[in-house]
Amino acid sequence: MKKSLPFILVLLLLFVSACSNKSNGNEAKTGDSDHPSGTITVWGWDVAAETLKLSVEKFKKQYPDVEVKVEDFSSGDLYEKLTVGMAARGSGLPDVVLMEDERIPGYIHQFPDGFTKLDKLGYDKFKDEFNPAKIASVQDKEGNLIAAPWDIGPAGVFYRTDYFEKANVDPESIKTWDDYIEAGKKIKDATGAKLLPIDIANYDGVFHMMLQQQGISYFDKEGNILLDSDEAIRAMEVIKSFHENDLILNNSGWDGIVTATVNGSVATVPYGVWYAGTIMDQAPDLKGKWDVFYLPGFSEGGTRYANVGGSSLLIPSYSKNQSAAYAFVEFFTTDEETQLLGFEKFGLFPSLNKTYESPILNENSEYFNNSPIFKKFADIVEQVPEITLDENYARGSSMMSNTQAAILLENKKVEPALKDAKDQLKNEIKE
Amino acid sequence: MRSSKISSKIWIYVLLLVGVVISIAPFYWMIVGSTLKSGEIFHIPPKILPGDHLAENFKSFNDSLGIVKIFWNSLFIAVVFTVLSTLICSMAGYAFAKFRFRGRNLIFFVILCSLMIPYQVTLIPLFEMMVSFNWLNTYQAIILPSLASPFAIYLMRQNMKAVPDSLIEASRVDGAGELRIFFTVILPVVRPALAAVSIFLFMSQWNSLIWPLITLNSKEMFTLPVALSSLIGMARIDYGQVMLGTALSTIPIMIIFLLMQKHFISGILGGSVKE
Repeated sequence: MKKSLPFILVLLLLFVSACSNKSNGNEAKTGDSDHPSGTITVWGWDVAAETLKLSVEKFKKQYPDVEVKVEDFSSGDLYEKLTVGMAARGSGLPDVVLMEDERIPGYIHQFPDGFTKLDKLGYDKFKDEFNPAKIASVQDKEGNLIAAPWDIGPAGVFYRTDYFEKANVDPESIKTWDDYIEAGKKIKDATGAKLLPIDIANYDGVFHMMLQQQGISYFDKEGNILLDSDEAIRAMEVIKSFHENDLILNNSGWDGIVTATVNGSVATVPYGVWYAGTIMDQAPDLKGKWDVFYLPGFSEGGTRYANVGGSSLLIPSYSKNQSAAYAFVEFFTTDEETQLLGFEKFGLFPSLNKTYESPILNENSEYFNNSPIFKKFADIVEQVPEITLDENYARGSSMMSNTQAAILLENKKVEPALKDAKDQLKNEIKE
Repeated sequence: MRSSKISSKIWIYVLLLVGVVISIAPFYWMIVGSTLKSGEIFHIPPKILPGDHLAENFKSFNDSLGIVKIFWNSLFIAVVFTVLSTLICSMAGYAFAKFRFRGRNLIFFVILCSLMIPYQVTLIPLFEMMVSFNWLNTYQAIILPSLASPFAIYLMRQNMKAVPDSLIEASRVDGAGELRIFFTVILPVVRPALAAVSIFLFMSQWNSLIWPLITLNSKEMFTLPVALSSLIGMARIDYGQVMLGTALSTIPIMIIFLLMQKHFISGILGGSVKE
């Protein structure tokens, strides 16, 4: 005992001293809307947070009195912290927060007064500088701008040029999903590779792209469920015929898709533009062997465009320094150079229209078979159909994954399965 | 007769061997993975032998997060927490086991009941409390709230009940004060239980994610689990880094557990049998 007491005391002392040198007081100093000042905190993730950090330098030239602190979490962690902070009436929240577009309606629904309406602060004058589909995804139901649009994910089909050559398939000839399936059969015979990866029980992204091509999502503007619509049936029939022809690599999750991309077990990956960055990162050896074509349509001449992912910046209404937060958000999302910085460094595809004129976005990519893949994506941005992201989006998505599994793996019929899914989702939402 | 005995033994060993391989393989893969480049991890067939990317992974992990600081954070928090919490819980357990006071059983019952409250329920009020203390992003926000662990108190109480009253009475007769009795008589007797409780507390703090995640904001304050979780990007994951980080956070726990597992098991069983 005599020996251990001093030891414990020392530890206690150490503890107290470690605790006391820390004060985390928010500076109360703020400016007015003409001269914002003070310190703001910004939450982001991954390469987006890096971009936010890199933008601060130029921002400070315009607003020398504002200090910006960017804090970086993984997106899942960020949502967790944001939800807790919102539930705790704004405790410990940052002044600006990054959010995926599909999450925005859910947060607005759960915390209706949680975020500042940006049109009040003057953001409405930028409305026309972005494509309408993106603007639609950052508005609440009354049409107020809740978030400032940043990146988007126009979708295309990434494909292995060598596999296509070996099977003697011309990607240009793939115009409809039926063509795509025929091509898939040929490629499989020639190379043994499956056509595309889908985590059947957990990922309905391909299905949702097909819905968006046809101009709908899981819900319409009034919140009606569209899971048993003709569009949904058509889309699910296509996915079913992928499966019947044994063209789907049923792998698990994000890691599964990356695995398949790297080890060559699939010939194509339909995904958003940002997947280009992942391919380059994880499969440097496959340089020159990837390229992109647009999503096949449901009929010849049908829409071939959709969007996967994308994120925007929001200002929690609890932020004590609204003027500085807004100054940063406005600068960051509307400054062409800053937007191109994120694209050039990390492949974050901007939604600001004027960036599409820039040379970096139009040049040929050495990795992607020397084709101008980003120009291909930029060209379709305007034509991506506008859809409603409902607050129950996540529920719709998981319901569709389950239904997809029931149809493909348990041989349920498409139409009754989708009808059941609709009824079940309706019940879930009512509760 | 003899040969059948041997062959059945062989079968048992083969079965055990399969079990060993199954339980060791993920750890082995984790270590191999931490020496590979991100893309290499997905190669088919998988690479069984370690690669040459360990130094690079270490460097990029260190560049993005600062290994030393994060290790120190985790270690400091876990050690201080374990020492304080073990002390508090064993004192509480002693009081519940050996002192008679009004409401003793009721208070003990309430403490046990608090085991039934899911963590998520207390999360938000506790978080608000930390914010109003201005304790966000500090060590004490992680260490203090969970110091009194109901499970540890329960375990200590059960173990201390097994200590004969006569031992305490004899010490009192000899003129020892209460604190002295506790530290010099009681604690040495329940050493296995102490070991078990401290391993349990250390592991729970070392691995804890949600609470540190919510209270810590800056990279310099991150603990290992929070740092690992922050490595998972949206579209880009450097799997080599993740594997290395996981290996780094697992190895200390494995060492501590292997060193102390004897105490751990006997401590858990300690309260079950009364001599």
